[in-house]
Parts: sequence; C-alpha cells; structure tokens
Amino acid sequence: MKLTCMQDNLNRGLSIVSRAVSARSTLPILSNILLSTDNGRLKLAATNLELGITTWIGAEVEQEGSITIPARLLTDFVNTLPNEKVHIELTGGQKVRVSAGHSSADIHGMDPEDFPVIPTVTDEPTVRIEPGLLKEMISQVAFAAASDDSRPVLAGVLVKLENGSLTMAAADGFRLAVKEHEVDVDATGISVIVPAKALDALARLIGDAEEAVEITVTPNRSQILFHSENVDIISRLVDGNFPNYNQIVPKQHETRTVVDTQEFLRATRRAFIFARDSQNVVRLQLEPGDDLRPGRILITATAAEMGSGADELQATIEGTGGQIAFNAKYLADVLAVVSTGQVALETQTANAPGVIKPIGNGSYTHVIMPMHMANR
Amino acid sequence: MTRTILHVDLDAFFCAVEEQRDPSLRGKPFAVGGNAEGRGVVSSCSYAARRHGVRSAMPMVRALALCPHLLCLPTRFAAYRASSQAVMQRLGALTQMVEQVSIDEAFLDVSDIPEPGEVLARRLQAQIRDELGLPCSIGVATNKLVAKVATDVGKASARCDSPPNAILAVPPGTEAAFLAPLPAHALWGVGAKTADRLAALGLRTIGDIAAWPPASLESRFGKYGRTLSHHAAGIDDRPIITEHTPKSVSRETTFARDVTDAETLQRTVHAQATDVGRRLRRAGMVGTTVKLKLRWSDFTTLTRQASLPQPSAHDAEIAAAAMRLLNQLWQTSVPVRLVGVGVTGLGSPPRQLSLWEVERPVSTERDLRLQSTVSELRDRYGYQLVRWGSEVPQT
Repeated sequence: MKLTCMQDNLNRGLSIVSRAVSARSTLPILSNILLSTDNGRLKLAATNLELGITTWIGAEVEQEGSITIPARLLTDFVNTLPNEKVHIELTGGQKVRVSAGHSSADIHGMDPEDFPVIPTVTDEPTVRIEPGLLKEMISQVAFAAASDDSRPVLAGVLVKLENGSLTMAAADGFRLAVKEHEVDVDATGISVIVPAKALDALARLIGDAEEAVEITVTPNRSQILFHSENVDIISRLVDGNFPNYNQIVPKQHETRTVVDTQEFLRATRRAFIFARDSQNVVRLQLEPGDDLRPGRILITATAAEMGSGADELQATIEGTGGQIAFNAKYLADVLAVVSTGQVALETQTANAPGVIKPIGNGSYTHVIMPMHMANR
Repeated sequence: MTRTILHVDLDAFFCAVEEQRDPSLRGKPFAVGGNAEGRGVVSSCSYAARRHGVRSAMPMVRALALCPHLLCLPTRFAAYRASSQAVMQRLGALTQMVEQVSIDEAFLDVSDIPEPGEVLARRLQAQIRDELGLPCSIGVATNKLVAKVATDVGKASARCDSPPNAILAVPPGTEAAFLAPLPAHALWGVGAKTADRLAALGLRTIGDIAAWPPASLESRFGKYGRTLSHHAAGIDDRPIITEHTPKSVSRETTFARDVTDAETLQRTVHAQATDVGRRLRRAGMVGTTVKLKLRWSDFTTLTRQASLPQPSAHDAEIAAAAMRLLNQLWQTSVPVRLVGVGVTGLGSPPRQLSLWEVERPVSTERDLRLQSTVSELRDRYGYQLVRWGSEVPQT
C-alpha cells in the first residue's frame, strides 16, 4: 500500500471513525483503525462490534493494500502534522511509515485480515430520509433513552416506519419522548430498536450533509445501516420489545400551562443550580390567573443549608393549577430541544405524569414523571 | 368547644416490663439502669425501692447506699420499645388523635367521643392492664397541661408498694381551683431554677402565680412569663400533635471510665452513627449535617459539624463524616468522657417516580435493604444479635 492524501482530509476522516474505536477492549485490534485503498480513495473504518463507522477520503493511490494501525497513535500524530501532503506507505512486516514535510513516523500495525468485517450497503430495500429531519428527530428523542445498559431496550430508540410516517420513541423509565413525522417513502413495516449511542453518532456525523440518508436493515434484522455522504454507520439492533408507550401518555389533564419556552428553560436552569445539591428537585407552583392578573408559574429549588432560588413566570394557565416537582435535568433537557416559541405543560396531580408539548407542532410529545415529595 | 384530653402515663414502666418477665420481682425493691460500678444512673425503680428513697436519674451507687438490698437490672430497651408500641397501638385504636410524648407517656384528644373522659380512662386502664399486664395512671382534663398535672397528683396520692393505677379527672371549669394549692414546681415546665426565682417573689403555689399580675411576670420572665400566668390559671390551648417531626437525631455515650484509646472511640462513634442511621431510616428521613460532640474529663464540651454531600440516612456516610470530625477534634491520649453523633437538617427524601413504577436498580438499594433487615432483626431480638465487623473488639 502506498498513497498520498491531504492532512486535513485525513484528520477529519480519522476523527469521524474514532467514535467507533473501542476505548477498552479485550480484542486489541478493535483499538485500531483499518486503512485500505478503495477505488482510488482511502477508506478508513473502525468498529467496537456494536457500532461501526466507515468513511472515505480522496487520495492518490500508487499501490493498493490495507493495514490496521492503533487509532490513538495515528490520530494524535496526524493531528500535529502541518496541512500538507501526507504519505502513507506499507514498509513490510505490518509496519507503516506516515510522513509529511520533515516529520515521519514508523508505526507497527496489525494484520487487516484479523479486522472484523464491517458490512456495507447491499441491495436490500432502502429508505431515504432528509438529513435535517433525521437530525432534529434524534435530538428530540435520543436523550430520553437510558444511559446505562442495564436494560438494553431502554438504552435504545424505537424507530418505526409505518403508513408514511416515521416515529422515534425513547424512554429511560422516568421520561418518554415521542416524535412523529410524515415521510414521503413507500417502505412500511419497519420497527427496530437502535442504540441511542449509534443515533447520537449519526446525528453528529450527518453534520451539514445535504444528500438524503439511506437507511437499510440487514435481512436478519440484526443490524441497521445508515449511508450518508462519504460516511457509513452500521449499528447492532437491540433485541426485544419496546414498551407500549401509548399507554403511558396521559389522555387528559387537569391543568394546562402555556409559557414562553426560552423563559421556562432559563428559569429551570437557574433553579437547577440549587437543585443539583438536593436530588435535582425543582418545584413548580402553577397559579391560574383571574380577571385582574395573569396566571403565573413559581419555580423554586432549595439546596439544603445553602440557599434557594426562585423564578416567577407569566403563563396562561387553564384548569385548577397546583404544585408538582420535577427533576430539573429532565425538565431542562426537554425544554432545550423544543424549537417552538411557546410550550405547553399538561398536568393532573402532583404524582401523575406531566406532558410537555410544543405549541404549534403536534408531532412531539414528552412525558416526565414527577418527583414524589413525602410529607414533612 | 371544651376539649377532653387524657394523659396516659405507664407506672414505673421499665420495672413493670421486668416484672412481667420475672414475676418474682413483684413487691421487691429493684431498679433498672446503668452499671453501679461506673457512672450508671437509675432509669426506673420499683415502688418498693421508692419507699427507700430511690428515685429515677439518681446515680446507681447512691441508690445502693439508700437501699442496700436493691436489685440492679440492666436496661433492655428492645423489650421496652416493644411493650410501648403495644400500648400506643391500643391508644391509637381509641382515637387517631394520639401524641406520644415519650416511651411511656402519651396525650389523647377524645373530644369527639361522646362518653365522659373518666369512663374512657377507666376502660383504657383496664384494657392495658388485662391485655398487656401493665399498670398506668391517667389524668383527664380540658387541656394537656392540666391533664398531665392531674396524672402526677393522682399518682402522688397513692402511697403503697404497688403501682398507683391512679385516675384523676379535673372537671371543666375547675382547672384553676385544682391547680391553685399545688406547689409551683408541679406546673409543667417549671424547673428548679424557675421555682427559685418565683419563690424569691414569694410565689410558692400555682395559685400564687395565677394571682400575680401577668405584666409583672412578663417583665421578669419575658414571653415565658405570660405563658406562666396562663398555665397557672389552667389555660393551655396547645393542640395534640399527632405527627412529631424531629429536628435532629442523635446518640451520646458517657463512658464508665474516661477513654484515651482511639479504637474504643472509633468503635463507639461507628456504633452511634449506625444507630442514628437506623432511626433516620425508620422515620423515613434523611439529614444533611453530621455533628460530633466530645466532652473531655474536665467537662469542656466541643461540637463540630460537617455537611454530607447528599441528604442521607446511610450508616457508612454518617460514620465517615463523624470519623473525619473525630480525627480533626481529638488528639491521641486526651481523655474523653462523652462522645456523641447526631444528624440535623432533616427532611423527607424526594423520590423520582417511574413511568412503570419499576424502580431503577440503584447501587445503594441493596445496601439499604440490608440495613433495614438488620434494623428489624435488632428490634425483635436485641441489638447484639447482628453486629458489623468493626463493632467487634479485637482480641
């Protein structure tokens, strides 16, 4: 293998595939990046067996070939090189010389034959989704998935394509995010659970891509492949049944509070400063208005023996009002991804789920379970 | 509306429980309390012992001097707690308006029950005696203060070797007349110091206090002076507090001999932290601040406190904070007379509700389960049944 490419292209390619490099693995080769020539380009690939990322960069290929190199070493070295032409050459015995300008490195690689095969696009039916929409849907849903793997189904996002509508849903047990969107595709009957980490990686890597993302599920339904401009992401699918979230979303409410999204978010973040020292508890007091004054939300949090914070927001409150306490993080998480100017909070009692809905966008629903405050 | 308040006080409670265990103790002078060899005091003494002048809170050594045949029994708190709970359960069956004041004492508001208070009192006394074998005295009045004084007066008028089993009812409207001839210190809340100050004014009976101008008392005793006037006139509108919210939970130990070695101190602090944690968990509370109290042999007392990173009722977290304070405060070989651990800043722990009401496995959940199991075992079979390794002295 012998080739030349530009430092900035190589650097960018390495940073893309690095997301899939296994930080700690019992399989040493998973800490490596696979480099191989591919139709006059340089292909970079990494996998941790859950998630695989492949990307291609332009190169002048003199001699075909492939090798795997320790990811960290290569990435760090290339990152320090000047933005010039970088020469990569296999010098025999799994050794690679990487050089640019007056700098060069000889790096010990490992046999590419030992690197796990990362599947690429096949002839399976493909769904094409506009990248901006995909990114938005992931940003509104994936954060609600569980961050630990103790229940893999909850660490995943349900991706469902049915009757011309794409649905994503995630629930970590304390909150639920559901986003639906009309899509102009024929394919139907796809319902898979994708690890939230894979979707997060996808959302970042789509970047400003303009071409539609092609989505393919492998025939045995064990893996999903996302193909974007110059990047392929393949992820293992989670085996299991996603909880029936329709049962969780309350069908009615006692109180409906409509408030400015950004004001609500800022007030919640301020309360969080105090709440983080007392189990993240923020209390909302919802006071309906009357003929003389508008309704208001009082947002308070107390850090034991340190102090407390309070915010008062004007709001349109229909119904009985009342008090409810939430984990400030959950509340801030959802408000941060609501893109409309106003947001509605629908509540029943202090121990019943609260529902957040953007005003003027019926396709997003977020349910948060409150904190139960024992009587003092 | 006129209220009817009962004050129920178990007669020589610890002794009554001991007599139940060992009927041969009946009629004999005996006391329950700390070891006579050290600085133990009398927690409770039988009526036969009282005739010899033995009283509660008296050093055991002094009690033995007054009554050389006195039998000294160690305290068995687990048994007393169990009996106390059985009594409180019966009180609770009569009315929900029960305020437990201590292990052997409670107020009941029976205003809503049409029967006269005295009839209720007789029935309750009989029930506690027949079902639990425990004697008690009951005061009946229109408020807590007079009911309590009535119990005390009833008990004092019974003079024999057996429990008083007194019942005294003060009819509505006669409160002031009932209190008037009694000495000032019989008034709830009047201690030796206040009694001395009142005596200096020539006020020896409760009637004297009631007749004294309230303004004059207020100028001398401040806000308490006004309360004093009211109480002396038999006026007390404090409600029955059914749920008691403690401000702190603590545990102190006075050593039989001053302690100079680190191991004993650490073991004691650890045991105290464990006990405090257990009581917090039972009350369903968490605390934010751990306090350590140390008293040197010259009675100099130091208190230091530290905040916990999270409100907690966890033994290990309380113990760790207490241990750090101990290391800061105590220099090796300084003799320690008393050590105590407490937790303040109490509150209820908020709980995140789950979408499916399935709790997320928390790393400490197993721990908390283990601790509550240990607590239950100790409550039923005594503290010594299960011990942490660190509590076992090295041999």
